[in-house]
Amino acid sequence: MKSIYSPSRRSRRDALRLLGAAGVAAGALSIGTLLPLGAAHAQALGMPQESEKVADTMKRLFGGRPIQDAGDRLKLDAPLIAENGAVVPIRVDADLPMSPDKYVKNIYVIADKNRRPLNAKFALYPDAGKASIATNIRLAETSDVRVIAEMNDGALFGVAREVKVTVGGCGG
Amino acid sequence: MSVGQVRIRVPEKAKAGEVITVRVLVTHPMEPLQFKDGKPVPKQYDYIHRIEATYNGKKVFEAETTQAVSQNPLIAFPVKVTEPGTVKVIFYDTMGKTYTGEAQIKF
Repeated sequence: MKSIYSPSRRSRRDALRLLGAAGVAAGALSIGTLLPLGAAHAQALGMPQESEKVADTMKRLFGGRPIQDAGDRLKLDAPLIAENGAVVPIRVDADLPMSPDKYVKNIYVIADKNRRPLNAKFALYPDAGKASIATNIRLAETSDVRVIAEMNDGALFGVAREVKVTVGGCGG
Repeated sequence: MSVGQVRIRVPEKAKAGEVITVRVLVTHPMEPLQFKDGKPVPKQYDYIHRIEATYNGKKVFEAETTQAVSQNPLIAFPVKVTEPGTVKVIFYDTMGKTYTGEAQIKF
């Protein structure tokens, strides 16, 4: 996978200024539009969230950190063609270290063209012994499914596969 | 099958130090987003948003799930077993309900 993000170096001052600006913007938004921003945080559980482009999801989750092509180290099993987008079985096997000082901390499953691309995030512990998970996901339409493995030191490994979907399964 | 039924499948017998795969299935609608006039209906949806698994009280696996996980979620995850014990999996849904399942690991 080609990374479109270059690692940027920001000074502390820049970071603080950005934070300030974000705070002001958030305040203005909540007053200006009467959007219950606070409420959105308090009772967001289960409420529909804004749709998101996959690039924004990647930015939200990983910032600008580069994602290395995992090659053989990350195996994603997914059907080539999923007749029913409501149930798409996937399986991820990582051939990455799993010791207390170096282990796979998180596995993210991201479907590029879903309304909210992040399907699920799995957290693992060194005690797991190996990094491998399986689940069923929903796909709205034919799209790339990406799996990103995040090591405990912050290194990211990614793999992507296209899954063709005959009938979408995300309720619209 | 009633909502909230948790079924766990583990190997019948395990060896010390072996990495086993725990397969767990919970009956839950994972209510998908509804649309009206092309916009999502603003209401609280009922789906599982968090899963936690422990082995003899020690956390071994966690997941954050969204509506983009299928109905009746099936999750498989690894656990390295060092001694006989209990695998416990807890599901949390957005309505504040929790569903728990347990399985014994025998040597």
